[in-house]
Amino acid sequence: MIRSESTAGRARLDLLDPLEVSRLGGLELVTQGVVEGFLAGLHRSPRRGFSVEFAEHRMYQPGDELRYVDWKILGRNDRLYVKQYEEETNLRAMVVCDASRSMAWTGNPDTTLPKLAYAQRLIAALSLVLLRQRDATGLIVFDDEVRSVTPPRSRPSHWPELLRTLGSMTPGQGTAAEPALRRVVSQLRRRGLVVFVSDLLLDRDLALTVLRFLRHRGHQVLVLHVMDPAEVTLHGPAEARFEDPETHASVMLRPRDWAGAYARTVEDAVAGWRLACRRNGIGYHRITTDTPYGHVLRAALAPPRRERVR
Amino acid sequence: MIGFLHPWVLAGLAAAGVPVLLHLLARREPPTVVFPAVRYLVDTTREHQRRLKLQNLLLLLLRTGMVASLVLAAAGPTAPLRGVPGHAPSALVVVLDNSASSGAIVGGTPLLARLKSAARAALDRATPSDALWLVTADGVPRRGDGAELATLIGSLGVSPRRLDLGAALGAAVEVLSTDRRPGQVLLLSDLQASALSPASVPVPLVVARPDAPAVRNVGIASLDVGPQPWSTDGGRVNVVLAGDSGAAVPMTVTLGGRQRQALGATGAAVTVALPGVAAGWWQIDAAVEGDELRLDDRRTASVRVAPLARADCSAAGRFAAAACDVLRGNGRLASGSEITLGTLAPRGASIVLPPPDPAHVGALNRELARRGVGWSFGQPVEAAEQTDSGALVGRERVLRRYPLVSGGSGRTGVLATINGQPWLVRSGGVVLLGSRLEPEWTSLPLSARFMPFMDALLNRIARGDVALLSGAPGEPVLLPDLVTTVRAGDRSWQVEGGAAFRPAAVGTYYLTAAGDTVGALSVNVDPRESRLRRADDGTVRRLWRGARVVALDRGGDDAFASLARGDLRGALLLAALLLGLAEVVVASAWRRGGAAA
Repeated sequence: MIRSESTAGRARLDLLDPLEVSRLGGLELVTQGVVEGFLAGLHRSPRRGFSVEFAEHRMYQPGDELRYVDWKILGRNDRLYVKQYEEETNLRAMVVCDASRSMAWTGNPDTTLPKLAYAQRLIAALSLVLLRQRDATGLIVFDDEVRSVTPPRSRPSHWPELLRTLGSMTPGQGTAAEPALRRVVSQLRRRGLVVFVSDLLLDRDLALTVLRFLRHRGHQVLVLHVMDPAEVTLHGPAEARFEDPETHASVMLRPRDWAGAYARTVEDAVAGWRLACRRNGIGYHRITTDTPYGHVLRAALAPPRRERVR
Repeated sequence: MIGFLHPWVLAGLAAAGVPVLLHLLARREPPTVVFPAVRYLVDTTREHQRRLKLQNLLLLLLRTGMVASLVLAAAGPTAPLRGVPGHAPSALVVVLDNSASSGAIVGGTPLLARLKSAARAALDRATPSDALWLVTADGVPRRGDGAELATLIGSLGVSPRRLDLGAALGAAVEVLSTDRRPGQVLLLSDLQASALSPASVPVPLVVARPDAPAVRNVGIASLDVGPQPWSTDGGRVNVVLAGDSGAAVPMTVTLGGRQRQALGATGAAVTVALPGVAAGWWQIDAAVEGDELRLDDRRTASVRVAPLARADCSAAGRFAAAACDVLRGNGRLASGSEITLGTLAPRGASIVLPPPDPAHVGALNRELARRGVGWSFGQPVEAAEQTDSGALVGRERVLRRYPLVSGGSGRTGVLATINGQPWLVRSGGVVLLGSRLEPEWTSLPLSARFMPFMDALLNRIARGDVALLSGAPGEPVLLPDLVTTVRAGDRSWQVEGGAAFRPAAVGTYYLTAAGDTVGALSVNVDPRESRLRRADDGTVRRLWRGARVVALDRGGDDAFASLARGDLRGALLLAALLLGLAEVVVASAWRRGGAAA
């Protein structure tokens, strides 16, 4: 059981509003708090994660999550067994973070973090969880080119280095994910985990091509699609010219007239990403910057569901 | 063609450009918002771009159409629409021909009654928004609402006047020109051919005419009593019948209660000898048997009966003396000293001519003044002039004359003028003529009018009788200068000599001056009213272009239907409302569509 005494009896930071969490302290402190809270919520199944594989069954004990119950055994023997997993050693994970100009945007600075700030904290927490599982974790930051590459390491002292890299991230200009994703190949020579954190305002076909390539190389790929709530629901003045901070392309319209059609377009885009990822065995999660980190970590670190994809 | 009650409102159509203007103004640069997900907006708008353009265009058209509809409705449009109930506010002039001929009995019913019935039917179709006028035989347009004019029509009788239909239409058009509403003229008439005259009628004209043919009629066209005065031995009258009967009809001529019978045919003159009566003013009546038109069956004239004038013409020159001899030979003059022609006689009446020697003019003027005559001879004028047309003297050439100068306070007793200056005047028993009756002075002695002039001068003017006039009801008659009063029965009218007098009814009017009867005016129906033949439709359309001829029974129904202009205001307001609703639907449907999408 992994349980931190320091979090017992206190609010779990992983479930708080990200903006409020960010106000509690620096990146390292806040991230540790988030991870402590997250791990505290996982005390009944401490060995869950991407880096685990099925090992054996054991008798069900009160507190076990029902989703690990083996229903086939229950059907055959009328006994409750749960599946137990075994950690896989020497997993290498590479986080690819989009630091383009669009990631520095927030629809409302008073209520939500910029997408990049949210991504910083999320990646920090994720890498800490992975490192605590002794998984080697690296980081690639890119905008219109690859800005930094931190090779995957599994030693605990690697996390501060990752934090420094994350802390030094500044928003670039454009978005060119393809070179960054290709750099993963040179960093992960064996099967590993690739976590792609981006607002996905990029060349979709090109990005999917590279992601498919990574998947083809045997890597497990997870796409975390970061969106600002204001990107999901269109708001604004009666009439405005909306300008892309990267390409400076603009559109003039009345948000009130177009909100419905825009929401549909966004949903179609998200559905398109989700469907494309699913067809290629790529994990996909759309997250908004007001989503507590714990929810995202729980979704991201859940074992991949084997779903039939048509 | 569409017409407008308030065409100036059409200037407001410029307001229809407001939506376009707002559309252009609304294209001002809006605030810029940084938004990373512009690609989603681009995708969204790309999908709906055609719909958006169509919607904007549709909204623009709807708003422009709505404003234009409201402005057009405010301008009060009307359009020729048949079969629509009611009509647009209109101006209608009803010309009701109640002239003498309308008194004819057709099919047992007075024609005027049918004309009045059609007029009332037309007025029944009027609305309070209409402007209505009624023109009758007197030619005066009277304005009123439907009820007022209906009352007026109810009290209308056959007028002895003649109505010139062309003039009446002209008056109607003039009245309509003062009103902005679409105008129309409804003419209700027996359409007597002799009453038609050309007229330009730029508004719709409906001519309602009786469908039954005109009745045959005989009337007395003229009653000529010949030269005046008559002697106490009697005289002769010439009677002319008018009409379309053709057959000989008996007639009766009455003078002083004594009747004479005669048989006459239309178009031919019949001479009837009348017995002698005592000296004085007498009225002669001629009558034929009553027929369908009674107003022209009787005619009246006046005659002055007096003993022959006894005149001395020896001092008047050879032309005047010769004329006197002729008059004596014809029994129109006797020799004597009652009247002296040429010089101023010590007693009795004198007709004074300018002396042949200008040196004697001064002495003559002094003698005139001593006798109390208010006129004198002025300085001689030698110029080719003409007398002004008047009751006594027509237009005659005058080469030499002495202007007659009034010495009194007033200018009275003028009987004839030249360029407005007195040429023949009378003061008491003295008559002054500005020129001698010789060809060197005036062409009068050489003209055919000389003998009637001499007859009148000796028998009437010198004796104080100045005029025997004739006229028709409503027509102006120029009165001699000295007339101060016109009298008919118990009624009398103060008049100014030389002015026109319009007698209202048929009959004899006596002209008096200073209490003495100086003439008579015989007023009778215009003889043209006796000819009842109707004009055909072709003539009507030729004289009044665009006229629509309908049966009299339909005249009232076609009063406004012929104008046939429907009021488009309601339709335009409805259109504006529908356009407004459509605008709301389109705008909200777009928002709903956008929200639903």
